[in-house]
Amino acid sequence: MKPISLLGHERSITQIKYNREGDLLFSSAKDTSPTVWYSINGERLGTFDGHGGAVWCIDVNWDSTKVLTGAADSLCKLWDTQTGKELANFENGSAVRTCGFSFSGHDVMYSTDKTMGRSCEVLFFDTRDQSQLENNSPYMKITAPDSKVTSATWSNLDKELISGHDNGALCLWDLKTGSMVEEIMEHTKGVNDIQLNKTGQLFVTACKDSTSKLFNATTLEHLKTYKTDRPVNSAAISPLYDHVCLGGGQEAMDVTTTSSRIGKFETKFFHMIFEEEFARFKGHFGPINSVAFHPDGKSCSTGGEDGFVKINYFDSQYFEFDFEV
Amino acid sequence: MAEGEWEQAPVRKKHLDRNSEGTDDRPLENGMDEEEPNFSDAEDFIDDVTDDELLGDLLKQKPSEAVGIDSVVVVDNIPQVGQERVSKLKNVIRKIFSKYGEIITEFYPEENGKTKGFIFLEYDTIENAFKAAKNMTGYKLDKSHTFAVNVFSDFENYGDIPDDWQPPEKQSFVDHGNLKTWLMDPDCHDQYSVIYDGGETTAIFKNTPSEGVLVEARKRWTETFVRWSPLGSFLATMHQKGIALWGGEKFVQIKRFAHPGVQLIDFSPCERYMVSFSPVLGVNEEPLAIIVWDTRTGYKKRAFHCETACQWPIFKWSPDGKFFARLSSDLLSIYETPSCGLLEKKSLKIPGIKDFGWSPSENILAYWTPEAKDSPARVTLLEIPSRKELRVKNLFNVGDCKMHWQTQGDYLCVKVDRVTKSKKVQSCNFEIFRIREKLFPVDSVELKEGIIAFAWEPVGSKFCVLHGEPPRVSASFYNIKTKANIELLKTMEKKQANSVFWSPTGQFVILAGLRNMNGYFEFIDTNDMTVMNSREHFMATDVEWDPSGRYVVTGVSWWSHKVDNAFWVWNFQGKLLQKCAREKFCQLLWRPRPKSLLDKEQVKEIKKNMKVYTKQFELKDRQNLTKASKEQIEKRQKMLTDFQSLQEYLEETYKGLKEERLHLRGGVDTDRFDSNFEELEDEEEVEFFLGEEITEIDEFEYE
Repeated sequence: MKPISLLGHERSITQIKYNREGDLLFSSAKDTSPTVWYSINGERLGTFDGHGGAVWCIDVNWDSTKVLTGAADSLCKLWDTQTGKELANFENGSAVRTCGFSFSGHDVMYSTDKTMGRSCEVLFFDTRDQSQLENNSPYMKITAPDSKVTSATWSNLDKELISGHDNGALCLWDLKTGSMVEEIMEHTKGVNDIQLNKTGQLFVTACKDSTSKLFNATTLEHLKTYKTDRPVNSAAISPLYDHVCLGGGQEAMDVTTTSSRIGKFETKFFHMIFEEEFARFKGHFGPINSVAFHPDGKSCSTGGEDGFVKINYFDSQYFEFDFEV
Repeated sequence: MAEGEWEQAPVRKKHLDRNSEGTDDRPLENGMDEEEPNFSDAEDFIDDVTDDELLGDLLKQKPSEAVGIDSVVVVDNIPQVGQERVSKLKNVIRKIFSKYGEIITEFYPEENGKTKGFIFLEYDTIENAFKAAKNMTGYKLDKSHTFAVNVFSDFENYGDIPDDWQPPEKQSFVDHGNLKTWLMDPDCHDQYSVIYDGGETTAIFKNTPSEGVLVEARKRWTETFVRWSPLGSFLATMHQKGIALWGGEKFVQIKRFAHPGVQLIDFSPCERYMVSFSPVLGVNEEPLAIIVWDTRTGYKKRAFHCETACQWPIFKWSPDGKFFARLSSDLLSIYETPSCGLLEKKSLKIPGIKDFGWSPSENILAYWTPEAKDSPARVTLLEIPSRKELRVKNLFNVGDCKMHWQTQGDYLCVKVDRVTKSKKVQSCNFEIFRIREKLFPVDSVELKEGIIAFAWEPVGSKFCVLHGEPPRVSASFYNIKTKANIELLKTMEKKQANSVFWSPTGQFVILAGLRNMNGYFEFIDTNDMTVMNSREHFMATDVEWDPSGRYVVTGVSWWSHKVDNAFWVWNFQGKLLQKCAREKFCQLLWRPRPKSLLDKEQVKEIKKNMKVYTKQFELKDRQNLTKASKEQIEKRQKMLTDFQSLQEYLEETYKGLKEERLHLRGGVDTDRFDSNFEELEDEEEVEFFLGEEITEIDEFEYE
């Protein structure tokens, strides 16, 4: 397996996402140019220019017509995928940490950081309502109680939101009322990533406490734990098999003090049900910040602190491999 | 105001009216204003304020009895003089005794106008009194007066001893059960202790090929580290207050040894005696730094001062535990057990002695002395207790010597650094003493390179030397043939190693590159000098062979490296069996085994019938293996069925929500990845352009 290296970003990759068909790969980085690539050969299709700071998050809607980005310049921008034109610009008081399109693709949400005296908020807009976009007026606002939101996703067909927090908490919010339904503490450190499975009924978390956990998205019931020996930055569930893919490594700030080998910048594969690791591959020389499965489950991509995005097509052994049961 | 309301009156008033003693019930009521409260205690009042709390500052000044007595010394054999010369005597005495501190009071008892011949002196502190008592005893004032000085409290201590000797009461025997139960394991699985959680937890595991089975785990079992006794009977734990020994099947406490601030521990090879060291200084002159204990009774055998020795163990034990010895400048002190007294009541005077070591099998010790003016450096083999010099070997141009006894005591290797006149290390010699041959012949092996490590094969006649300058390190293996030369078996070049670990049963050896050499291991069979395996345990800090030589553990200890703390279990061939990652893993120690009870004949017999046994064991291994994999598969099956029921449920609900999904996405079915492909009528063709660039290269013209 030889990965395709996508070199276009000048700084660390923060998030990567495939569109629903899997032909496009979107990436955001700490430089100011979120990028879209052809996933088949890694050719760069274009960039969305307009941000003035590190771009923390990126999302694309289900029919790939719009792209949403959030950045450290306190802006969240909505783009037209095809033309790269800016459709809306949401201004805030602090950096935008995580963003996402709803299942329907009509609504967007993003969260802001708890800094500079601002509390951490999650804001909701309906993109069909021009007045909301122009006046910067969300139809709903949730204020996170104590710890800031580090990752979030829409859930239960746009009726709920799941948020992961800096203190390891996971919260389930009812979006009709904007109130918290449940809060659980299964992690001990910041939850870096939350990704749903294909059907949106399960989700997997990635946590700095070196574990990744599988939950039932409707009940927040903890189902499985995948243990590693390094902080996990991102985790994804395969749409094809009962597999989970984990990316991470020693935190970038600790790496310089030790040997490069010690970082363990590897992508690891676990069996989703048996919690056993069965494969891993190297490829980055810094921590892996984001992983994503191609929607067909035959390849996966990783984005690293080293600024590379790598598309990895699986070998035949991957498809032949099966656990003895 | 009702009387009853005051019954729970404020507490701190007893001392205000102490003089009234509470005899009068209502001393203030007569003629007093009704508003004036009654300060006396109710009858059933119990004072809960201690005097300490109330007048602590005053009580501190109260002289205590002990201070008075302990700082008084009694001096005997003082000249008996008449009134007229008392003041002169006092002057002389004061002058002599004030060397040890300020004398607060002096008392000269008199009888018939003459002093009685003994006096009392009180010093300012207890320490000074002890100092005076120690140093002035035996002081000769003149020909007929030699002082005898005693601390006054000694009179009390020794005066109370009853005249009739009472035999001490017989203590009932405490049965700790069989201390060797771990040896009765049917599969001969060895045990090991593990400290993890940064020292918080200590656990004992039984090693099986597939996993470590927990025997016992306790929180805060030790405060620093643990040690097994040499024969494996006891586990010693270290505490601020002393040492505890644990043993038996359930690891019950067997003995405690109070030694405040204890830091180091050592056992005699026979386990009968234990030596502990604490840097805490004693108040009195009594030595406290090093204590020799009897492990069976728990009694202190003898205590020693630490003096200047900074090497542990300070005492080196003879293999049978009959003698122990220590080194001080120009002296070798040998003590014998059980009395713990000096052998023949005096130390051996050996000018310039630098180091010594006991043979691991006989009561022979070897020591060396460096070059002095006219005499060469010298290595001497000494038989104890006869003190007979068995062999003396003279050496020249010696910079330093290191002595290595082979584990069986068959050979002694003295590594000699040869220096030139300018003190530059020139080369290195190994002087090999053959202990089992007549007259102790000595062979010499010379190496021109720097030596990194040396190790004897524990059973056998081989030794391994790592030499060279990193990163160009070579490993050389030598074999000593009986009544023949020392043969170089092989030199392996370019090894990533800084330590050598022989299997306790010989033949197999690991060359290890620990710590900054990344934890690289080579497993070597020295019978045919092949490298069986080359493996890595990144940043490993420790290597521990199990006592049977079947398994070996490599570990990354939290004490020296803060991440990836884990221990890995390998077999002797270098096949990785287990990886045990433990949070903040610190130390792993195998439980030692006592010597085998089989004699040579029986061992031979077993070796002869090896094939029969091999078959049995292989069968058992296979059974265990299938059992383990069967268990694993069963576990997986259970997980799978459990999860499948959830998946089925989720699938049902997913189907039920189809309408809602269609509604949200404007009627487009997106349930499957390729669900819309058929509907796409206008196919899109995507062309990728491969960049093409033509660069003409002109020929360079040179002038």
